[in-house]
Amino acid sequence: MKISADILRTYQSVHTWTGITAGLLLFIGFFAGALTMFGSAIDDWATPPDYQLMQVPQGQHDALLRKAFTEHPDTLKNITISFEEGSSPIYWYGRGSARGFSLDDQMWHATLDTQGQLVSELRHVNELSMLIDYLHRSAGIIGEIGHDQAGVYVLGIAAFLYFIALVSGVIFLLPSLVKSFFALRKEKGASRFWLDSHNLVGIASLPFHIIIAITVVVFSFHDLFYDGLSQVYGNKPLFGGDEHHQEVRYDINALPNLSEIQKRVEQYAPGYEIKSINFRGLSGKHPSASVAIVSDDSLMRGPHNDFLFMHPFTLEIDTSSVTNGQGEQGVWGTVVTTFFGLHFGSYGGELGRWLYFIMGLGGAFLFYSGNLIWLEKRRKKQQSAQSKSSKFMANLTVGVCLGSAIGIAGAFALSKWLTLGTWNINVAYMWIYYSLFFAALTGAFTLGAARFSIIGLYVFSALCLIVPLTSLWGLALPNAGIWVPNSLADFGIEAGAIGFALAGMLACKRVKHRVYHGEENSIWYCQKLTSKVSSAHLA
Amino acid sequence: MARNEGKIQPHWWSKTFAGIIAGFLLSIGIVGIFAWLGPDGLTQPISEETRLWKTQFNMWVITPIWLTILSFVYLFRTGVQAWCWLGGLATLTIVIVACLRGLL
Repeated sequence: MKISADILRTYQSVHTWTGITAGLLLFIGFFAGALTMFGSAIDDWATPPDYQLMQVPQGQHDALLRKAFTEHPDTLKNITISFEEGSSPIYWYGRGSARGFSLDDQMWHATLDTQGQLVSELRHVNELSMLIDYLHRSAGIIGEIGHDQAGVYVLGIAAFLYFIALVSGVIFLLPSLVKSFFALRKEKGASRFWLDSHNLVGIASLPFHIIIAITVVVFSFHDLFYDGLSQVYGNKPLFGGDEHHQEVRYDINALPNLSEIQKRVEQYAPGYEIKSINFRGLSGKHPSASVAIVSDDSLMRGPHNDFLFMHPFTLEIDTSSVTNGQGEQGVWGTVVTTFFGLHFGSYGGELGRWLYFIMGLGGAFLFYSGNLIWLEKRRKKQQSAQSKSSKFMANLTVGVCLGSAIGIAGAFALSKWLTLGTWNINVAYMWIYYSLFFAALTGAFTLGAARFSIIGLYVFSALCLIVPLTSLWGLALPNAGIWVPNSLADFGIEAGAIGFALAGMLACKRVKHRVYHGEENSIWYCQKLTSKVSSAHLA
Repeated sequence: MARNEGKIQPHWWSKTFAGIIAGFLLSIGIVGIFAWLGPDGLTQPISEETRLWKTQFNMWVITPIWLTILSFVYLFRTGVQAWCWLGGLATLTIVIVACLRGLL
């Protein structure tokens, strides 16, 4: 394809600048984002088997719920009934709420004992997946703006740069695309290989990346957009309508049985299963029920499920993210829910999750390799001294990428050990992540990117290996308080940790070769630390 | 015409700001016209549920339009041209929206 030279030149600059400014933020977002695909497996793995109370048999949820209403009147305001295996049958927040970000949320879990009496326990919300999700949405940037974390807005801005980088990358790749798309030219040297694989991954997953960029901008700046829209709408309402809802306070005894709610949901969304029901404001004038429903066969709007909103007393359905012609969402609902689903990868069941996991890691690779290409272009091939900016960028790239990976690996490695103490585990996760991250960053800047990349990869692999070693410890010493994996999801996490450790070791081997035996006129070169060298330095 | 005049000038800052500011206003303007005159528009009697999703749809489409404008703003030869075109179109669409708001 023929594109004029100055357009190519312009967009090459655009690509370089947008890429280099947003790349590292996006790396963290994508690496953590890939892991969020297995969020519920991670939580399952990270919580002791006795954390969730016994699920009650189908049909007993009603009795449990009524008991909770009388014994804990708080639950009238907000309570969730879960039908999932391995989850407490009912739970409600003791402190905090599902909205917002807080480290010391506490949750009441309740179930029925063998005598049919209600037993309840207050527990800290241990969610390792929450740390991952926090990093995914904010890249770990500390601080809050309004009702959201500052990092969310920073990633929103990064998403702008990311979209522009995608468009500009495609534009200046177009002329050579056809002939070099599937070419991975290993023989032409490392830099060519990085460039080819950068292009291959970028083009192959382009639709995914476009969707992610658009959705992230919307997630970050929807308030601004609604403000803009309200100007356009004039005196027309954005939401709601002119008809006034009847404000009726219902008696809690008038609450229909759960089976009636189930029947109504089945009728509205055939083929879906109810995962949980959240009741809110049951004693107030605006009672509501949001029903989480799942189906592996269709695109789901939420990260883990679809929604259906209904009136808990009249069973009137307000709306649903399932757009199957039962409601009046129109084509609009279909488009909007598709955007959500395509971001969360919540379609296609396990296969879809794996695909998104791989594409997420692919995205992280895209940003990392982009930085390497930038560095390689600026390399002074005739002298060993490299420019300050090159060194800085190399240290930053290795420090941030390895640092975030090491931080996450550290939280996984220590997670089960942390449950042995009495501290707030979510705060502990944060301390571990940030201390490892900043230690890595410091290490990269003091030792230099070349040497630190070897050490960092060793540390990363070692932390990953601690995960299965911890389980072996638990197996050997059953009384030590360390539980062993007991579900497919648990074993998946353990296998994943081993996989990451192997990948880290493999990368380490190659990095070592590059660092010690590669071209000397490069930031990636340094001498082996042997006694001979160090004594020569001392002399 | 001198050869150099046909070439794209960098003008990074002025083009970028044209894409961000004028581009945003233009996106809002385009979506505004669609919101008023398009199917299930603001003048039509629609159910609360339809409105819930239509408004979300309107909000969502601002972003792809804005990002597309922002990505291709560097194709303008100069920053001034970018501002004139995008600013002009933004003004036009917003005037149309203002008229629709007043008339309908």
